[in-house]
Amino acid sequence: MRKLRAWFRRLAAMRNKRQSEHDLSVELESHLEMHIEDNLRAGMTPDEARRQALIKLGGVEQVKESYRERRSVPVLETLVQDLRYALRMLRRNPGFTSVAVLSLALGIGANALVFSVINALLLRPLPVENPDQLVFLENKSFNSQSFPNYRDLRDRNKTFSGMVGYRLAPMELESANGATRIWGLLATGNYFDVLGVHPAIGRFFHQADDLHPRESPYAVLSYNSWRGRFGGDPAIVGKTVRINRLPYTVLGVAPPDFHGTELWYWPEVWVPMMMEPQIENYSGTGWLDNRSTWDTWVLGRLKPGVSRAEALANLNTIAAELAREHPDNNEGLQFKLAKPGLAGDYFGGPAKAFTLGVLGLAALVLLAACANLASLLTARAADRQREIAIRLSIGAKRGRVVRQVLTETLVLSLAGGAAGYGLAFLLSEALTRWRAPMDFPVQFNVNPDWRVFLFALAVSIAAAALFGSAPAWRASRTDVNAVLKGGAASWGRSRLAFRDVLVVVQVALCFVLVAACLLSLRGLQQTLKMRLGFEPRDVSVVAFDLGLAGYSDEKGRLFQQRALEAVQQLPGVRVAAYSNSVPLSIDQSSTSVVAADKPAPRPSDSMSAHYYQVSPGYFETLGTRLLAGRDFTWHDDADSPRVAIVNVAFARQVLHCENAVGKRFRSGLSGPLADVIGMVEDGKYESLTESQTPALFWPILQSYNSTTTLEVRSSLAAAEMVGLMRQAVRRLDPELPLYETGSLDQMLGFAFFPTRAAAIALSAFGVLAIMLAVTGIHGLVSYAVARRVREIGIRVAVGARPAQVLRLVLGRVMTLIAIGSVIGLALALAAGQVLASVVYGASARDALTLAVVVATVALLGLLSSWGPTRRALRIDPVLALRYE
Amino acid sequence: MGERPDVWQGTLALMVLKTLEAMGPLHGYGIARRIELTSGNQLLINYGTLYPALLKLEQEGYIASEWGLSDNKRKAKYYRLTRAGRKQLEREARQWEQATAIVARFLAPEER
Repeated sequence: MRKLRAWFRRLAAMRNKRQSEHDLSVELESHLEMHIEDNLRAGMTPDEARRQALIKLGGVEQVKESYRERRSVPVLETLVQDLRYALRMLRRNPGFTSVAVLSLALGIGANALVFSVINALLLRPLPVENPDQLVFLENKSFNSQSFPNYRDLRDRNKTFSGMVGYRLAPMELESANGATRIWGLLATGNYFDVLGVHPAIGRFFHQADDLHPRESPYAVLSYNSWRGRFGGDPAIVGKTVRINRLPYTVLGVAPPDFHGTELWYWPEVWVPMMMEPQIENYSGTGWLDNRSTWDTWVLGRLKPGVSRAEALANLNTIAAELAREHPDNNEGLQFKLAKPGLAGDYFGGPAKAFTLGVLGLAALVLLAACANLASLLTARAADRQREIAIRLSIGAKRGRVVRQVLTETLVLSLAGGAAGYGLAFLLSEALTRWRAPMDFPVQFNVNPDWRVFLFALAVSIAAAALFGSAPAWRASRTDVNAVLKGGAASWGRSRLAFRDVLVVVQVALCFVLVAACLLSLRGLQQTLKMRLGFEPRDVSVVAFDLGLAGYSDEKGRLFQQRALEAVQQLPGVRVAAYSNSVPLSIDQSSTSVVAADKPAPRPSDSMSAHYYQVSPGYFETLGTRLLAGRDFTWHDDADSPRVAIVNVAFARQVLHCENAVGKRFRSGLSGPLADVIGMVEDGKYESLTESQTPALFWPILQSYNSTTTLEVRSSLAAAEMVGLMRQAVRRLDPELPLYETGSLDQMLGFAFFPTRAAAIALSAFGVLAIMLAVTGIHGLVSYAVARRVREIGIRVAVGARPAQVLRLVLGRVMTLIAIGSVIGLALALAAGQVLASVVYGASARDALTLAVVVATVALLGLLSSWGPTRRALRIDPVLALRYE
Repeated sequence: MGERPDVWQGTLALMVLKTLEAMGPLHGYGIARRIELTSGNQLLINYGTLYPALLKLEQEGYIASEWGLSDNKRKAKYYRLTRAGRKQLEREARQWEQATAIVARFLAPEER
């Protein structure tokens, strides 16, 4: 107890130091006086009296020192002292401090931002109960299951306490502002209960509400939707909303931070799965009982204590049963488990690869910043050798000096880290608010939480350790005698100084980053130039969904044709057509096909192909080349033989021939035969990075689809054209919601987005690296020149020509840059794989680009050295010899 | 000037407390002289070691200090025993007596 009290007194005593020192001085002075008086009385001379008193006391300074050690907490005091000193030093060199803090802020901020994204995508748990018990079900071929399969899995498993199925579903919602197409989620009744989410207001639907098709017209709104579209109406519960022109009752509102179980998709409304027939309105496919459509995403909650391995084994047992019972559809079924949130491995895999790749690059930028700082600090440490030597000579312990240098670097690093974290915070807020340029609710919440903060802190400290250890070590090794005697050491000719290593490291890193930047930009360029299989320029589109708007097949067909006719009348229109969708948009469908020559086809014989339902004139409108055969005509309708047009990949991979015209195939294992009447060029259908995939085109008159995209190739500007198209459609049905309107170029933003994003990120890193390298090399050369002013002055006085001075100053720097470039080149070639995973189309074997990088780095080196070199050339020998 | 071993520090503290108990409030020099005297000039302590010891006692709350005037009208810091200090003194004195009794028994076993 007393000890504790003593400690508190010691801590408190750190404040009024001056008063305490004064008191002690007075006390000791009075002590001495009293003692001297006694000594005088005892008969000593005044001098002797004083001397004896001092000896007996034991030396005033020593007493004071041991008093001070006990008075407060010395360690803390020295720390505070070091901090004050460090701040003073940093304030005295504002140029250095701002450059250092800026480089660190950029390096640490970049890392914090990338980690924030990684945190949001891979680390942060879903806002549900016990999120680590949730797993996402995938199988070998797809990341989704058929609905009947889901039902069997749910009922037969022994290892899950609950299993939910859900499906992304576009819907037409009527609110006060009219009808719009929104994105929602069809979810099985147990969805909210299994996840363990509680409503913000009202209630959710439960399993009992989701038993029979078409009998559960309920809706649960998302919090954002409630506030945005319904104005946060407090009486929303129980109200009726019209979805797809049918009444649904609002049961409740989800909590504000719940956005479903997919991180990238924020639905506005949840509807029980049994309402699927009304929501999707595909005529009579009986999707709920169809084992050959694999569109249900399945999530399960493990029973407590059950491991993933056990659950997987159980699921695969059921898979074997299902394969036996329904061999047509489930042959070879095998399941895998994945982490929920990123559509299993569909996004999860690429997301991981991409973000880790980017984190690697960010780490390189930070390394470059640290190398920069280390060299600057080492240079400064060399300047302070004298100061340190003096301090050591009057009795400072080496440990104390090292501690002081480390404190300085830590202060710098934490300042940079704080600035970097702030930067990352702002940028991640902007990123969260950003909506992708498409009509799809992609949104990410990348706001930083405590994990990101800790990461930033850890990185700051690590950075401090990295760039601070060199100057600290140097300080501890100061040879007091040498320094005090002869002045600072000069930059030796043959010794490989630590600073030289740093320059090489910096140049290498800069090289790698600039190479990454340029190679990726080139990759992007390639991507943009690649053959899409159609010409998006000058094409405008308007999309609508007749099924959601309640049109029957008959009425829908009529509407489509009238819409086409209306649009063909518009000025400037060269050709027009309509289809269910366009390539590279969000809505892509595929089916399994099998060549007709197989009499009894099995699932393993079939291949997957993209399909589109198109009107006559589609290929001309989109600019897809017809290579053989003919286009559809208006005579290819329900009464004529079934026909199709395929692409070259289809011909080669499914039909095993070069010209598909005249061949036949089956869609689905037991579907009707179709004749191929034409062949078009290959193209990209789902993503820019796919290899050649088969695609087939049905005539829309034989294969109706209520989802419609009207395409028009015209000479008018897209904005104007789209406006006219909207008017035309509006005249036919004023209440029909239109979406995805714009030029086809704009619509493709979705497809190009990942590559563009990657290129932007890499360019940013490249620029950062260049900035860091330039400041680093500039600082170094300036320093070198400053150090050798005397030497240069002498040489000039003795007759050296400018060229020789130049060689003196630049020679070493250029050698170092060359070495750094070679190392950087080797690294860039080695890292080619990593780059390819980040940016499609980028390859490290691009000789032209690498040559450009070499030239760039060399140029940078020259530019950064230019200033100090000019100064070196202008050195006046007379002044130089007087220097120092 | 390094730290003295704890035993020495402990006895110094005890001597200070005892001195203050016997003499009442006293300044640092006076305490030092008194200790020297009482020990029969056997302990030629360095007066300087007294001040850190006084500080420690004050931090622990066993003594309290205040400024006053000495005999010859000089400003001096006077220390006095607190109640806690008094209790601590009794405790420590008792411990010392017990310790010396046990050791004495060991050192003179023949005395029955």
